[in-house]
Amino acid sequence: MGAGHLTRLEGEMNTCIRCAYCFEKCPVFNERGWDSDGARGKVILSYGLLTGQLKPSKYVADKMFRCTCCRDCIERCPSNVNVIDIVSSARADLVASGFAGETHKQVVENIKKTGNIYGDAEVVSPLKEGETPLFLGCQYLSRPNKTKKYIAILEKLGIHPEVQKEVCCGFPMEILGFKAEFESHKEKFSQFFPHKGAIALCPTCTVFLKEGYGLDAKHVLQVISEKIPEAKLGLKVTYHDPCDFSRGLKIIDEPRKILKKLGVEIVEMKDSKVQSACCGGGGGILMSDPSLSDRIAKNRIRQAIETGADTLITSCPTCEQVLKKAATDVGGSEGKNIAVRNIEDIIWMGVK
Amino acid sequence: MKSDIGMLKAIVGESDVSDELADLYVYSSDASVHQALPSVVVRPKTIEEVQQVMRYANGNRVPVIARGAGSGMSGHAVPIDGGIVLDMKRMNRILEIKPEDILCKVEVGVVNDELNRVLKPYGFFFPPTPSSGNICTIGGMIGTNASGNRAVKYGATRDSVLGLKVVLANGDLVKLGSNTRTDASGYQLARLMVGSEGTLGIVVEATLLLSPLPKYRAMGIANFDKLEDAGRAISDIISTGITPSMLELMDSVAITAVNRALNLGLPDVAAIVIFECDGMVKESVGHDIANIRKTCERHNGSGITVSDDPKEMARIYEGRKKLFPSLSRYGEGLVSTPLADDMAVPMSKIADCVQEIHKVAKRNNVIMSAYGHCGSGLIHTKIMMDPTKESQWEDAKRAVTEIYEYVYKIGGTTSGEHGIALSKAPSWKVEKKDSLEMMRAIKRALDPHNILNPHKLMDAPDDWTKATALRYNVRRG
Repeated sequence: MGAGHLTRLEGEMNTCIRCAYCFEKCPVFNERGWDSDGARGKVILSYGLLTGQLKPSKYVADKMFRCTCCRDCIERCPSNVNVIDIVSSARADLVASGFAGETHKQVVENIKKTGNIYGDAEVVSPLKEGETPLFLGCQYLSRPNKTKKYIAILEKLGIHPEVQKEVCCGFPMEILGFKAEFESHKEKFSQFFPHKGAIALCPTCTVFLKEGYGLDAKHVLQVISEKIPEAKLGLKVTYHDPCDFSRGLKIIDEPRKILKKLGVEIVEMKDSKVQSACCGGGGGILMSDPSLSDRIAKNRIRQAIETGADTLITSCPTCEQVLKKAATDVGGSEGKNIAVRNIEDIIWMGVK
Repeated sequence: MKSDIGMLKAIVGESDVSDELADLYVYSSDASVHQALPSVVVRPKTIEEVQQVMRYANGNRVPVIARGAGSGMSGHAVPIDGGIVLDMKRMNRILEIKPEDILCKVEVGVVNDELNRVLKPYGFFFPPTPSSGNICTIGGMIGTNASGNRAVKYGATRDSVLGLKVVLANGDLVKLGSNTRTDASGYQLARLMVGSEGTLGIVVEATLLLSPLPKYRAMGIANFDKLEDAGRAISDIISTGITPSMLELMDSVAITAVNRALNLGLPDVAAIVIFECDGMVKESVGHDIANIRKTCERHNGSGITVSDDPKEMARIYEGRKKLFPSLSRYGEGLVSTPLADDMAVPMSKIADCVQEIHKVAKRNNVIMSAYGHCGSGLIHTKIMMDPTKESQWEDAKRAVTEIYEYVYKIGGTTSGEHGIALSKAPSWKVEKKDSLEMMRAIKRALDPHNILNPHKLMDAPDDWTKATALRYNVRRG
């Protein structure tokens, strides 16, 4: 048995009445089809680990790490069972029993050594004096052009962000089951980022600053949506709600309001808003099972193509990355094309 | 069994067979309280594969348990003797839609709501509406003769099954029933298969009767300060000749639970009645709604609201659909268990029965909710209890026995829609004592080696708490 992270969740797992309503849109279950691949399956596996009916093993770990943590199951669960809490705790017990994936271990080591997920000491914040603390997060740290664009947008709208040297929020450690490492990292993070509130660029970081640290964090689009001027870009797009946006932060209207104000017509996909289908990039599977991640992303791209729009807009750098690749692959193999862009490009077009 | 895994892999393919303990553990339970490990899980894709698996199983006397979504509440898919769990979800093609004949043909792994999504552009729907419609398969619905909240007007699954393709225990494929709305002669074998819980054959294809989608729909809610008034209103509505498309009761326990879990904002009263009428003519729907409103008022219903706004109707409908799982949030440390959960009683006895349920619960130190498709005479109960305490299972066992004794005394029956399997079998065998030998004879004729979902229904153990392990971590005391 692992480190006992599941112990506090026995009641929560009993609360799950195993109705299977979480099957409906679980991206991993819909791709793989075994009951043990769905959210309910992962709760049952966790219960087995807790009670000792299952021993930690590579097979169980592979199942448990095949989860995009997209929160769709939580949204659908009529018993409000926090499946992601259960999955991350089961992962923690599996990691404590020696069943961490090599790619995941590497990410954690990278954060410990360099403060970012890439293990690249050259990835640094574009330091800037200002009034409002801005948290970039690893994804934007490694994409300086995007970060500069967001900073320029905020300046244009009269908001003066302050950027300091920062370290990863630690979410990858938490979600991949490295809870002891995260507890150590927490202190380091607070030293680098001593603020009580912030604007954050990455949806996942925004959720985690709130949930993991109790900070008053706002996503940059929440701020922009209050000040966005009108424009007439005349584009027709479909919008992909990132999981941490629509289900984590419950931000659904703001990006749509921004796009509409800029004169962009939105054609909704079959699964959108709070029921948005996952891009396949979350929960660590992009590292541990890229082929599965890719298949889930392609499913989403096919939904986007069905709308007839020629561009998919999203507001998460990970979604953008995996959906861009999937769009290229689908375009190549199925002859149907759609462009993928991040919302900051569109906003910049409207305000520059 | 180990040495036979290779044989099964040769039939369905390497990647669709698993005897990994982790997979077996997940497939050892459904939405019931039971748990028993299968020996292997097999996922067939074609009828031929099912036939080959059955020939193998019959020859080697290996139990075979068909499974859809595994959302059954009485232990249908729990393999009490191990054996092969046949996960039928890969057989999920809609084969044919014939609007001119008002029917469709499907494989049994098709999900109910998905079928209705595809049927909608044709102007039709498959009428049974189980609350689990978003995930339950047509095969599972056939196995349990599922119905749901619109059964009061449209009937149960059996009423919408015209024909079936069934793989028998020996691997033979038979076509039962027909493609026609009337089929009068001989034994009604397709109808026999519906509700047989996988004990007589593996249903692989179904020809289903459809209904035209109604053009108009309206829904109302009436509040009652006395549970018995709500029960009498329901009985009265049905007996006056109105056919609502939904007529549901929720008691105060159910109201509290859905408000807590789903923030539905229902009023804090002893009971509410949710009613819905649908049809092709707006005035006709309005006329029926007005009559139901008057009947509720006559029985002291108050605060009656009616809406034909699709969003508002969907909000209430979704809340009702999620009632059973949301009961798990009724109280700290209490979880919802599907015990004694779907008895049906004569219409005139609904009010009495609902009151008795609460008395039984109080006597036995458990909390019970009473709600359900009462327009069909069907009452759902769930027992909210601490499943980790051994003593609570004794309490639950007494409560279940007492409730069924009462139900039979007033002329009711054990299960209106969820089926029997293990949890309800001990009481059901008492109720159906005159039918048991006939059922066993049919079972022997179709499955002489007793490999199809054995030890369920009439052959289930007499103590449901010991039929299998309970899926909870139960401690003494």
